[in-house]
Amino acid sequence: MSSSLLRFALVGNPNCGKTALFNSLTGARAKVANYAGVTVEKRLGSLAGLGRPAELIDLPGTYSLYVASPDEQVARRVILGEMAGEAAPDVLVAVVDATNIKLGLRLVLELQALGLPMILALNLADTARSRGITIDTAMLSQQLGMPVVETVAVRKNGVADLHAALAQCARSAGSRSGRLALPERAEAVEHLYARIDTLLASSVSAPSHAPAWQDRLDALVMHPVLGLVLLATILLLMFQAVFAWAAPVMDAIDGSMAWLGETVGSLLPAGILHDFVVDGLIAGVGGVLVFLPQIIILFAFILALEDSGYLPRAAFLLDRLMRGVGLSGRSFIPMLSSFACAVPGIMSTRSIADPKERLLTILTAPLMTCSARLPVYALVIGAFVPQHTVWGVFNLQGLTLFALYVAGIVSAALVAWVMRGRQVASQGFPLLLELPNYRWPNAYHFALGLKERAWIFLRRVGTIILALSIVLWFLATFPHAPVGATLPAIEYSFAGMLGKLMQPLFDPLGFNWQMCIALIPAMAAREVAVSALATVYAVGGEDALGGALAHDWGLPVALAYLAWFVYAPQCLATIAVVRRETNSRQATAIFTTYLFGLAYLGALLVRHIAALWA
Amino acid sequence: MPHTATPLHQLPKGARATIVDIASHSHFGELDAQVTQRLKELGFLPGAVLQVIGFGLFGADPVAVRINGTKFGLRRSEAAKILTTVHPA
Repeated sequence: MSSSLLRFALVGNPNCGKTALFNSLTGARAKVANYAGVTVEKRLGSLAGLGRPAELIDLPGTYSLYVASPDEQVARRVILGEMAGEAAPDVLVAVVDATNIKLGLRLVLELQALGLPMILALNLADTARSRGITIDTAMLSQQLGMPVVETVAVRKNGVADLHAALAQCARSAGSRSGRLALPERAEAVEHLYARIDTLLASSVSAPSHAPAWQDRLDALVMHPVLGLVLLATILLLMFQAVFAWAAPVMDAIDGSMAWLGETVGSLLPAGILHDFVVDGLIAGVGGVLVFLPQIIILFAFILALEDSGYLPRAAFLLDRLMRGVGLSGRSFIPMLSSFACAVPGIMSTRSIADPKERLLTILTAPLMTCSARLPVYALVIGAFVPQHTVWGVFNLQGLTLFALYVAGIVSAALVAWVMRGRQVASQGFPLLLELPNYRWPNAYHFALGLKERAWIFLRRVGTIILALSIVLWFLATFPHAPVGATLPAIEYSFAGMLGKLMQPLFDPLGFNWQMCIALIPAMAAREVAVSALATVYAVGGEDALGGALAHDWGLPVALAYLAWFVYAPQCLATIAVVRRETNSRQATAIFTTYLFGLAYLGALLVRHIAALWA
Repeated sequence: MPHTATPLHQLPKGARATIVDIASHSHFGELDAQVTQRLKELGFLPGAVLQVIGFGLFGADPVAVRINGTKFGLRRSEAAKILTTVHPA
């Protein structure tokens, strides 16, 4: 028995519940999704209780070792030990969806030809049983010549048998080093399937048939008319919820931040420290924290749609539409993720096989309205758009927000259409999109995912946004106004100088120097524009800030400011991820320039058109 | 009976059919063999039975089919490679 590190790799088709299995085995906080190819980054976790040190690698879902899209190639390269500085894994843990065993077994037989020690996990065993599928694991194990265990990744203790099998394997398996060679395809696919049929005939009874409700649901969801109505309804509901449902919680947060400011303020003596804590820290952080409820609601919708299996259907429906502008249904997932944040959206483009389509998706995905824009939109809309009820159901504010989202989508389509060049649609890798079974999102994994997103946002509030609030407060406070000054103190500060320096450039757009100042820290995170405005207008609380803006800006300029935020790449993290994913300085430069250009042009047009109307 | 074979994209919704061949298609150029291979790997093999379950927004492109209990979305050009004989309704 050795004490050297033993390396296990999880391999399986997309949608087989591999990531949930990984979470259960390692306790890692990784996300589970139902969409093919979402696990593109390498994920590693340590396996405890095997009697020796061991780690588990979660590989991207793959159908085949031989024909591969870029993210499937990652899986193949890891398995063969072709990744730089990494040997091939010691043991393969093949995961097969027990309700879809035929497709999964084909990969298993391919993997077996590599000659590595293997364990087969039949995941979703509970679903298979409830559909009347019975699997003789002992028989299957004997025929395949590898341990076979049933698992239910999302259930507590659902992976106990697999853990035991891993421990058993750890006692005998040796650590290896080096590479493997991918053998020439030993047998034609036809023969592989014939072998699988023979295997299944003796060990599995009752072929898999999805329950009838799945098909009935598909008849609605994928209906060319009803399906589109459903999709539009879901999206509209999502945006409406972001505005309407979040309001009470936001008011509560706003109220408690104001209370905190007053309480702390009354404890501190008047002076520079008092101003720093109350106006700098509490007002700055509170102004952004208040948007947490909206962000959580948005993420909840996206997570639920992802985990339920709805998203690939939406991609299917929209494929033809998106192909018209040089994209495809596959681009829909990165695009939708970008409504939460463009960074994970751009990272998920790795599942797009066609390089040209992938680049187009990367360049246009940040036009989707990310959650960091919401605070800015919410502030400006709240200040300038009345709470009218329209058509008895919607309020005008919600509709305005919807219009901003639509503006981003339409612009992305136009940009993609212009940029796609001569090559019409993608000729390369086919769509071949698996439409997985519908599943109820698992509450535990759903909550984990939501917590993860909320935590990322709170960490930003606690770090970048806190730091920028301090810097901004400093810029807005020093140097002090001279004795006997008549103008507001901030006009004499560094912030005032900087804003005035930038302002001529933005004068055609109607932006005043306060608006210009807010753009600078917003490069770190768009939502910081809100706390920046709160600082330069020296007001705390969203309502008070909204009031100050309504008093100071005209409606055309406010709309131009919104237009700027629709387009401007006001986010260093996005620019950095574009650079990393395209690995091209030129593409990054094009990305940054075209978006700033559009922002300037868009704001200019909006201002003048709105001025004509008003 | 290849002369009576119907390409998948011409099947009506709800139709059940048996695959008779995966033909080559000029649309994919050099990649055609790869696309054929991938289709076969996913279970689109002569002899397999599939059912058309739906279409995308405009006409039969893309088309959704069920094969071996799994549902896939295929583009028209991919579906055109799959030659079938339709089961009588």
